[in-house]
Amino acid sequence: MIEGRYFPPHSSRALRATLSGSFDTLELAVEGAERAVHVRVSAISDRLAGVPRKIAFPDGGVFETAHDADLGFLEVQNGGFLTFLSRIEGNYKAVIIATALCIAAIFGVYRYGLPIAAAGAAWATPQVVVDAIDYGTLETVDQTFFGETRLPETERTRITALFDTLLARAGPGVQAELLFRSGGPIGANAIALPGGTVIITDELAALAASDDEIAGVLAHEIGHIAGRHSLKQIYRVLGISFMIAVVGGDSSQLIGDVVTQASALQSLAYTREFEADADRYSVDLMVASRRNPVAFIDLLDRIVGTAKEEGDTDWFSTHPGNADRRAAVTRQAENLGWKKLQKNDETY
Amino acid sequence: MDVIADRGEAAAGTRRLAFTFTGTAGAYFGIWIVNLLLSIVTFGVYTAWAKVRRVRYFYGNTWLDGHNFEYHARPMQILIGRIAVVAALVVYNLLATVSPFFVALILPYLVALPWLINKSFAFNARMTSYRNIRFNFIGSYWGAFRAFILWPFAAALTIGILLPLASRSVHNYIGNNLRFGTAAFATASPLRSLYRLWGFCAVFAAILLLPVGAAIYALIGRLGTPDQSAFGGFVVIAALFAYLGIFLVAISYRAGARNVAYSATTLDGVHRLASRVGPVRYVFILVTNLFAAMFTSGLMIPWGAVRTWRYLASHTSLIAAGPLDGFVDEAGLGGNVAAAEYFDVQGIEFGL
Repeated sequence: MIEGRYFPPHSSRALRATLSGSFDTLELAVEGAERAVHVRVSAISDRLAGVPRKIAFPDGGVFETAHDADLGFLEVQNGGFLTFLSRIEGNYKAVIIATALCIAAIFGVYRYGLPIAAAGAAWATPQVVVDAIDYGTLETVDQTFFGETRLPETERTRITALFDTLLARAGPGVQAELLFRSGGPIGANAIALPGGTVIITDELAALAASDDEIAGVLAHEIGHIAGRHSLKQIYRVLGISFMIAVVGGDSSQLIGDVVTQASALQSLAYTREFEADADRYSVDLMVASRRNPVAFIDLLDRIVGTAKEEGDTDWFSTHPGNADRRAAVTRQAENLGWKKLQKNDETY
Repeated sequence: MDVIADRGEAAAGTRRLAFTFTGTAGAYFGIWIVNLLLSIVTFGVYTAWAKVRRVRYFYGNTWLDGHNFEYHARPMQILIGRIAVVAALVVYNLLATVSPFFVALILPYLVALPWLINKSFAFNARMTSYRNIRFNFIGSYWGAFRAFILWPFAAALTIGILLPLASRSVHNYIGNNLRFGTAAFATASPLRSLYRLWGFCAVFAAILLLPVGAAIYALIGRLGTPDQSAFGGFVVIAALFAYLGIFLVAISYRAGARNVAYSATTLDGVHRLASRVGPVRYVFILVTNLFAAMFTSGLMIPWGAVRTWRYLASHTSLIAAGPLDGFVDEAGLGGNVAAAEYFDVQGIEFGL
């Protein structure tokens, strides 16, 4: 038998009452009523720390009792899992284990789970969608800052030939197309869109001092295409937002804002990681094509000027700084034996 | 039980009943960490169950006059609502990536917003009960439009000068349409109190902007000199501090506005609400919660949540003009789950 309070259907009036018997033969005895009444249970609220249990009857009446009341006599079948949970939540050893597991899970998802899931999503995205993104982005940049190219046809043919040879060496799995545009306010730049479109601006072509410099940049962009970086980046950012929603969903406003800002920094870190990957791809492709893999860094230096702050990588950069890129590219090229090639091959 | 005589402020025959919170950081930490672990392991599916447990814990441990509150939403409802919202957001974001012209979709969204808000309030209200009586919310499209679109726009266009009018509109709209069973709430926020509060906040904001003005003035005098970039840096730093400061001033304004709104709210014409949240103290609590969370990689978040809720509860009360056992409920209704979950997923909060 348990003691508690009874609310008649749709009423806020609370009367003292007791509930006794067993699941099939429950009796509700309300203070002031002549005799006990047979009742059937329609729902029982889940067990939760400190919250009184509420037993609902089909007519809308509710019997309320202490949060830790023993409802075993009701042969409570429903909510077995949730009762188990509430026991775990109250057990400090289990809580410590749960905390450790949580930290491991968050770290694992953040470090490995997210990139893997993003790669999977990128692989599974239908070509139609990717082409639509390319088309839309091209429309946008053409309407906003890019203009029609003013490069002479001979230049364009030469650069396209460079691009095609590099692409051929990249293998059959990589599909890409080269477009020329006038850079407008963007100036010297090259971008790779998710669907395989590579855009190079007139200003970049003009600043290049040798074929190898342009080829290095083109190889870098092909690297983005081969690695499906644009699409992966879209999914990684989506993934971070989703994770923030899941993990921080019920935190206060202030904390939510701070975490969102921090996630922007992580997005930039992902971008830098992809840029470094594209650099590596470029070095491989250039060495395989017997071209100078470090040349394009000279071009980058020229674009950016020799301002000191541009040479350093910091939290807010989308690219690693040029000094770091030069070091990484040179190191990798030497590992591939490029220096030797340079000495032996007299066409350099 | 919870009767607190308050130095003659309550009129004769009335009882001042303070809300109390019996939850503890320790107990909630267990719930919170298990919620977190299961949510991650189930890729977010469990968040629906987690939300129900969390809200039930906070509502269930909030007491008034010896009775607690209850939350009745079922996890499956919440899950379906969240999936609908996430799907809509993903589609919208993909469309926006394909072409920025799809951003124009924001117009039908604005048209639907008052309806969404009403449905969301209705759902949250109907899922909440006290003493076996459910709350309810009966909104109107144009009322929601005025309160949540028209007045906020006006306040923004006038750089905040019309903000008290917007606050009054929102609070009156919510209060006047809120029901407790068949009984109705009524809110009539006095504009004078709101403008007095706004005046204090505006003065603080102006003080925060002074360094920015001074820095800009100093910068103008040094344009073209080698000191230019250093003074430009000063302007940026001053602006950053001003931005952070004004953000906090805005929060304290909302706390003060909450006091005004609650104290102007009656239930069934005879019972009054009262709120004595300290705006500065409230901001202090939120900021210290933030720092505690940052220094413990988030482990102090549940402690902060309990602390904030307890502060708000213990500074809110009901001045009851009689016993509270005469209320009657209507037959149960639903409300729109997806609408309510949309605002939850977007992190848009309406209450304090």
